[in-house]
Amino acid sequence: MSLALLLRLGVVLSAIYCLIALTILIARTFSFGKQPTYAKAQGSAAKGIVYAFGQGMLPWEKESASKHLPTFFAGILYHAGIFAAIFFLITTLLLIGLPDAAIRTVRLLAVVGLLSGTGLLVKRSALPYMRFISCLDDYIANILVGLLLLVTILATYYYVLQFAMMAVAIVLLLYIPLGKIRHCVFFFYSRILFGTFFGRRGTLPHPSTED
Amino acid sequence: MSEDTRKDSYEERISGLTSAEFAKALQTFCDKIDIGDAAQLNSCVHCGLCADTCHYYLAGGESEALPAYKLNLVSAVFKNQHTRLGRIAPALTGAQALDADMISRWVDSLYGRCSLCGRCALNCTLGINISRLIRLARTTLASVGLVPPELQSTVSTAVDKGNNMGIPRQEWLDTLQWLDEELQQEVSDPAAHLPIDQSDIRLFYTVNPREPKFFPLSLLATAKIFYAAGESWTFSSDYYDVTNYGLFSGDDQASGVISARLRDSMHKLHANTLVLGECGHGYNANRWEAPEWLAGAYGFEVKSILEIIADYIRQGRIKLDPSRNQKRVTLHDPCNLVRLGGIIEQQRFILKRAVSDFVEMYPNREQNFCCGGGGGQLSMTRFAKRRIESGRIKADQIRATGAKIVVAPCHNCIDQLSELNKEYKLGVEIKTVSEIVADAIIIGH
Ligand code: SF4
Ligand code: SF4
Ligand code: SF4
Repeated sequence: MSLALLLRLGVVLSAIYCLIALTILIARTFSFGKQPTYAKAQGSAAKGIVYAFGQGMLPWEKESASKHLPTFFAGILYHAGIFAAIFFLITTLLLIGLPDAAIRTVRLLAVVGLLSGTGLLVKRSALPYMRFISCLDDYIANILVGLLLLVTILATYYYVLQFAMMAVAIVLLLYIPLGKIRHCVFFFYSRILFGTFFGRRGTLPHPSTED
Repeated sequence: MSEDTRKDSYEERISGLTSAEFAKALQTFCDKIDIGDAAQLNSCVHCGLCADTCHYYLAGGESEALPAYKLNLVSAVFKNQHTRLGRIAPALTGAQALDADMISRWVDSLYGRCSLCGRCALNCTLGINISRLIRLARTTLASVGLVPPELQSTVSTAVDKGNNMGIPRQEWLDTLQWLDEELQQEVSDPAAHLPIDQSDIRLFYTVNPREPKFFPLSLLATAKIFYAAGESWTFSSDYYDVTNYGLFSGDDQASGVISARLRDSMHKLHANTLVLGECGHGYNANRWEAPEWLAGAYGFEVKSILEIIADYIRQGRIKLDPSRNQKRVTLHDPCNLVRLGGIIEQQRFILKRAVSDFVEMYPNREQNFCCGGGGGQLSMTRFAKRRIESGRIKADQIRATGAKIVVAPCHNCIDQLSELNKEYKLGVEIKTVSEIVADAIIIGH
């Protein structure tokens, strides 16, 4: 079996493992059971959820974003880079040849993502309050993702480095269910809970003013 | 524990916890977690963007006050119990067992540096309900009797004596009788009076016991509004306490006992609507949490007095003359009423019609800063220094408005704001919405 095939198989198997592990994680989370709610709603949970995924994601709606615009945008660009790298990985696995324009876009997003991720890592390492709330997992996750972005960029130039990209992807996929990257599944549920809570209570979306 | 945490029998009790007590605490912790809690305890990405949403961190800058740190303390125990990596390699994810050290840190940060105001939750990148999870930890501590004694004593007084200040029934009735005479003079009507234990009425009105004890004139103000609106309402001679410090101590059982009294009084009085006086956490507790503690929907309406007053104005049942309140007025948004309660615009609607110079403080509405008095902080004297320090953010907000009067629809907030007024030399008067409305009301309209 050639190295290329071996790595391709490795990525597929680790992706399957990752999906199964995340599914188990979700099932275990659901096993905690849901408490019924009895208080009569004042606002609308549905409107709250729409707010949580729409207007509520805008930087001026959240002080944590409006006061930290560089971090907010770095976060967005970092994730854009990650999605571009995943896209490139999938096309590589499926042996789909991308047009030059698409490769250049992937490269650009990965470069910007890598710079943003590195910036966030530097921030985490340099600021005492960030170090205080961080654990080893935060650094490992950031470095692994950064590594994937780096090899993706290189792989867009040199075909042979696609092997390195797949090797890093295997490690990353094996790590995802264990550490903080698992937030990829919980993010959505967390925002739904946020929208439901503040929506039912009539706090969000902002009630109209009566003058 | 830090300098303002007294070494006392409470601390000794933590270090002397038995293994059976640790097991019980852990059991409570695991039993109380539902899907949402479990998902959110897995969600924090340690982005740190919630740091300066918390008035404790903003004012003091101590790392132990960071919302993400407080959340970490709760998720550490969750990860240790419920995640593979947390068990195999705890250091990697910050997992930690619920041991004496962790309990001390919980007490210090989750009781001592949090007013459960929910501002961090509103602004968290992922929307994690941090204050709910902090209360979950408090519930865990409460299950093994580790509520700070001063806070526990407020809860116990409410459970044992029927109101959190232990006001004897006769004293309450005497106060109401005295207020009866005051009301008659105020509205020049010898028939005016404060109804007690009337049944088949529209509104059952509940108050913070601090009102009869220290601020009876704020009761008079509301009675005057009801009088002017020609309302069908009553006080209860037994249970009238709108507060519920179980919300802050985390003791769900006591919370249920306290809230059941108002629910049962509603049934006894055959009232239509339970009206909650100006108390932020009393609103949150009775409007939103009590049906959950009692595991049953209420078959009656629960409203804030602010909704009632706003309706009177809309319906033309009371008429106000704003020129009677000439001084500049600003509004403090109690977190439990506004951010966590959803009562946001009514107080503004009222004040814009009751005063001639109204200014907002910034930020406001659901983004308001807690005054620092919530979460049971006013009871927990051991953390008083931090409470006053954390209130600096609110004091700065008030000063920037140039207002002479701060309106706060919450008696907890009023106590804290009064202390801030002295400490930070704000030179303001602090009033309830009802007091402002009562000053502007045109009797005989
Ligand atoms: S903002 Fe939310 S996700 Fe970010 S550190 Fe704070 S609690 Fe965690
Ligand atoms: S609930 Fe309020 S006091 Fe507690 S951590 Fe969050 S912002 Fe700070
Ligand atoms: S004391 Fe007032 S401002 Fe503070 S948490 Fe309670 S309601 Fe909010």
